[in-house]
Amino acid sequence: MLSYIIRRLLFLPLVLFGITVLIFALVSTLGPWTRVATFVPSPDAERHVNLEAMIKKYHLDDPPLKMYLRWLNNLFHGNLGWSQSSHMTVAEAIGHRFPATLELTLFAVLPVIVIGIILGVISAVHHNDPIDHSTRIFAIVLWSLPDFVLGLAVLMVGFGVLGWFPPGRLSSWAHLEVIKASFRAFTGMYTVDALLNGRLDIFWDALRHIIAPVITLSCLWWAFMLRVTRSSMLDVLNQDYVRTARAKGLAEPVVIKKHALRNALIPVTTVAGNMLLGLMGGVVIVETVFNYPGLGLLTSTAATRLDVPCVVGVALFYAVILVVVNLAVDILYSVIDPRVRLE
Amino acid sequence: MKTKVWLWIVIAVVVIAAGILVWNSQKPTPPAEEVAKPADVAGFNPDLFVYAGAGDAETLDPSKAYDTASSEIIFQCYDNLLAYKPGSLTEFIPMLATEVPTVENGLISKDGLTYTFPIRKGVKFHNGAILTPEDVEYSFERNMLADPVGGPMWMLLEPLLGVGTIEDYACQLAGVDDFSKVDEKNLIKTAQAVMNAVEVKGDSVVFHLAQPYPPFLSILARNCSWSVILNKKWMIEHGDWDGKAETWTKWHNLELEEQTLFATAMGTGPYKHISWNRSNSTHTLEAHADYWRGKAAIKTAIINNSVTEFNTRKLMLERGEADAIYVPVENSPQIEGTPGVNLIRGLPRLNNVCAIFNQEINAVDNEFVGSGKLDGNGIPPDFFSDINIRKAFCYAFDYEAFINEVVLGEASVPYGVIPKGLSDFFDEKGFQYSYDLAKAEEYFKKAFNGQVWEKGFKLTLVWNIPNTTRKTACEILKHGIESINPRFKVEVQGMEWNTMLPRRREGRLPMVFIGWLADYADPHNFVYPYLHSKGDFMSFTGGIGRAFAAREFDALINAGINETDPQKRIAIYTELQKKSLELAPHLMLYDAYDRRAHRDYVKGFTFDPICPAQYDLYSLSKSLK
Repeated sequence: MLSYIIRRLLFLPLVLFGITVLIFALVSTLGPWTRVATFVPSPDAERHVNLEAMIKKYHLDDPPLKMYLRWLNNLFHGNLGWSQSSHMTVAEAIGHRFPATLELTLFAVLPVIVIGIILGVISAVHHNDPIDHSTRIFAIVLWSLPDFVLGLAVLMVGFGVLGWFPPGRLSSWAHLEVIKASFRAFTGMYTVDALLNGRLDIFWDALRHIIAPVITLSCLWWAFMLRVTRSSMLDVLNQDYVRTARAKGLAEPVVIKKHALRNALIPVTTVAGNMLLGLMGGVVIVETVFNYPGLGLLTSTAATRLDVPCVVGVALFYAVILVVVNLAVDILYSVIDPRVRLE
Repeated sequence: MKTKVWLWIVIAVVVIAAGILVWNSQKPTPPAEEVAKPADVAGFNPDLFVYAGAGDAETLDPSKAYDTASSEIIFQCYDNLLAYKPGSLTEFIPMLATEVPTVENGLISKDGLTYTFPIRKGVKFHNGAILTPEDVEYSFERNMLADPVGGPMWMLLEPLLGVGTIEDYACQLAGVDDFSKVDEKNLIKTAQAVMNAVEVKGDSVVFHLAQPYPPFLSILARNCSWSVILNKKWMIEHGDWDGKAETWTKWHNLELEEQTLFATAMGTGPYKHISWNRSNSTHTLEAHADYWRGKAAIKTAIINNSVTEFNTRKLMLERGEADAIYVPVENSPQIEGTPGVNLIRGLPRLNNVCAIFNQEINAVDNEFVGSGKLDGNGIPPDFFSDINIRKAFCYAFDYEAFINEVVLGEASVPYGVIPKGLSDFFDEKGFQYSYDLAKAEEYFKKAFNGQVWEKGFKLTLVWNIPNTTRKTACEILKHGIESINPRFKVEVQGMEWNTMLPRRREGRLPMVFIGWLADYADPHNFVYPYLHSKGDFMSFTGGIGRAFAAREFDALINAGINETDPQKRIAIYTELQKKSLELAPHLMLYDAYDRRAHRDYVKGFTFDPICPAQYDLYSLSKSLK
C-alpha cells in the first residue's frame, strides 16, 4: 500500500508539468496587446500609459517557449509570480484565500455527506413510498435550483429579513479585533483561529457569517449525494446476498447497516471525492453572492482580467489537491471494501 | 398505477401549499423599516464608519497611484500644500502651506515661473515626527524621480521640467533615444535638475517652473494624490530613496510591490493607515490623534472594497452593517425610498463620456467595417473624415432618451468637451446638439457628395463588456441612424476589454466609446486629451484625425495653457467648447453625474466634484439626532 501511495505521488510532478504546458499552450495564442490589458483595468484607465514600455518591461512579446522557460525557472526558485488582479504574489494570494475556501468547504462537506447519505438510505429503504417520493422531489428541486438564485434567496431571508447571517467573513468589530497584533492567525480559518485564541465571541461571529454560504453550497450537493446514495443502495438491496441475509432471518437494520450500506458506499466515496473538488471549485458564485473572499473569487477575478500567473498558479494548486484527493479516495476504497487491494 | 398518480398529485399540492404558506407567513412581518431600526440603534457606533464598495486600490504609493480607489485611501492619510475653498474650483485655501501663492502677495513671480510656499510649523506626522520644508521638497523630488510607468507623475514633470517622463528628460540631456543608453553623468544631471526645480529656502519651499502653467496650483491641491507630503526620514529608514543625485535610478520605475509605500502610508493626514487586508480588499483607518486641524470625529473607518455584488451592499446598508455604499447609476431606484437612508443624486462630477470618430480606420482584415468600401456593405477607412457624417451622427443620437431612461436623469447634454462641473471656466450659454433626424438626414445627403445617401453603409459599433450603459448608447445611436435610411446598417457588438484593447490600438474600431474623469480641476485636463493632436483621445482617430486636430485645435489649446489672465482663459475655453461641437471630432454623449447613499445618521457630507474619495472622512460624524 505504501509503495502504491509513493508511486501515485511520484506521478504528481508529471501531472503538474502537463498542466503547465497545457495552460501555457492555450495562453500562447494571446498576443502581447491582449496580455497587457491586465495592467489597464478598464478602457477608460488607459491614459498616459505607455503600453509599449509595459510590454517591454514585462517581456510580454517574448516567444511562448521563452516565457514558459522563464516562468519554470522562477517556479524552481519558489516564485509563482505576481498577481496583478489581487495585488500580491500568487503564492500569497493562494495562501490567503485557500483557508477561507477550505473553511467553507469543510463546513459544507459534513452536512452534505451525513444528510445526503442518511436521506439516500432512507429513500432507498422506503423505495416508492411517499417518503421516497417526497425526498426525491425535494432533491430534484434543490438540485435544479441555480446557486445564485438560492444564494440570493438565503441572503435576502437570512440577512435582509432576519438579520442573522451577514455577508463577508467577519463583522466590522471582529475585523478590528482580528487585525490586532494580539490575535494570532494560525490557520487563516477564522473559526479555528478564534477558538485557538480563546475568543468565543469572534468564533460565533465567524460562524454566523459562514452559515449562509454553507447552506447554499451544501443544499445543492446534498441533493446530489442523496440521489447517488439512493440509486447505489437500491442496486445493492436487490442483490442476492441481501435476500439471503433477510431469508436467514436477520433483523432489517442489521441487513441494511451491515450488509447493504457498506457496499453501497463505494460509488458514493468516488462521488464524495469529486464532490469535495467540486465544492472547492464551485464556490465562485456562492463566494460572490456572500462576498466571501476565497479561491473561487480569486480565480474568477484573475480569469476575467487575464491575470495569467494567477490562473496558472491556481490551476497548479487545484491539480495538487485533485491528485491528493483522488489518492485519498483510492485509499478509502480499500478501507471500505477489503476486496480492493492497492498494489 | 392509479395510486401512484394520486400520490404525485397529493405531494405536489402539499409542496405548493407549503410554499404559499411560507410566502404568506413572511408577509405579515413588519416592513423593513421596523425590522432594521432596532438593529441600527443596538449596533450604533458613532466612532466607526463602514463603507462598502467594489474594486480595490492598486497601490498606496503616490508616485504610482492613478486610479480612484487608490487615491481614495491616499486622500484620507495625507495632506497637500493647498486645498480648494469649499464650493469652489478656482479658489484655494492653505493647508500645509500657510499662504496661497498669488502674484499679488509676491509668492508667484511676475513671469509665472516661481512659486513659493511658506510651510506650516508644528504639523505632526502619524509617527509623531514634525513636518519640515525638507519633507515637502523630498516628496516632490522622490515621486518625480520614481516616475513608474503608467503613474501620474507626468502632471508635475510637465510644468516643472517640460517633459512627460523623467526618462524622456534624461534621454534629451544625453541626446540618446533609449533610457538604458543614458550615461552616469547625465543621470546625475537629471536628478540635479529635479532637485533644482524644488528647493528649500528658509521656511519655504520654492518651485521653479519650466514654463508658465496656470493650472499649477490645481495640480498641487488636495485631491491630487501625486502631490501629497511624505515623511523624508521615515521613507529613508524604510529603504526608499536617500535623497542623493547619484542613487536615484535604484528607485526609479520599480515594480508596484517593490515600492516602499505600496501597502502602507505615512503622512500628516487626518487618518493613519492601519492595515490593508488585500484578500478582503479592506482598508482600516484610524483617526490621527495629533492632527493639526484637530482630531476627526469618526475614530475608525473601514473601507471595504470587496463587495462586488450590489444586492449584498444594499442589504448591508439597510441593516446598518455599512454606513455608506457605492451605488452604480442603474441601481439608484433600488435605494430610493429606503427608510433611514439618504440617497443624494445629481452631483455633477468632472466626468464625461464620448464616442470618438476614427477618421482613418485600419481596414485590413477588419470585421467592423464590412467591405471597407462605400458600396452599401461597409464603410471606407476615411468615412469619418467627412464632417457631414460626423455631424449627422451627432444629430442621430437621442440624448434625452438616453439621459432619462438609461442613466435615469443622472447626466446632462454636453456643451462640448469640458463637462458641466467646470462651468466656471466657460460660458455656459453655448450650443448643444439635440436629437434631430431631419438635420441628420440633411448632413447624410451632403456626405461624400451624396454617395452615402444613395448607396448606404454598414459598420459595427463595439462596446466593452460588462458596460451595458455603453451598449445601450450604441443601440440608441443604431436606432437613430437606421430610421433615417433603410440602406444604413449599424451593428452592435460587445467585447471583453482584453480582446478590445489590441483592436483599439490597431485603429480597427470605427468608433471608440470612452470616458474621461478629471485628474485636476482645470479645463486643460479635458481639452488636451480630447482635442490636442497628441492627446489620448485623438490618438484613436488615425493620422487624418491627428492632422485635423493639429490644424484646428493645437494652437488654441496652447494659448489656453500659456494664458495667465483668468478672463482671457474663459474666452479661449468657450471658443474651444464651441469648436469641439461644430467640428465634431467626437460624439459627446453626456456629462455624468454622481450619487451617494448613506445612513441618515451620517452627518457632514458635502460634495466636492474633484475629491477622489466618495467621502471626506474628516468632515463626517455620526449622530442619531
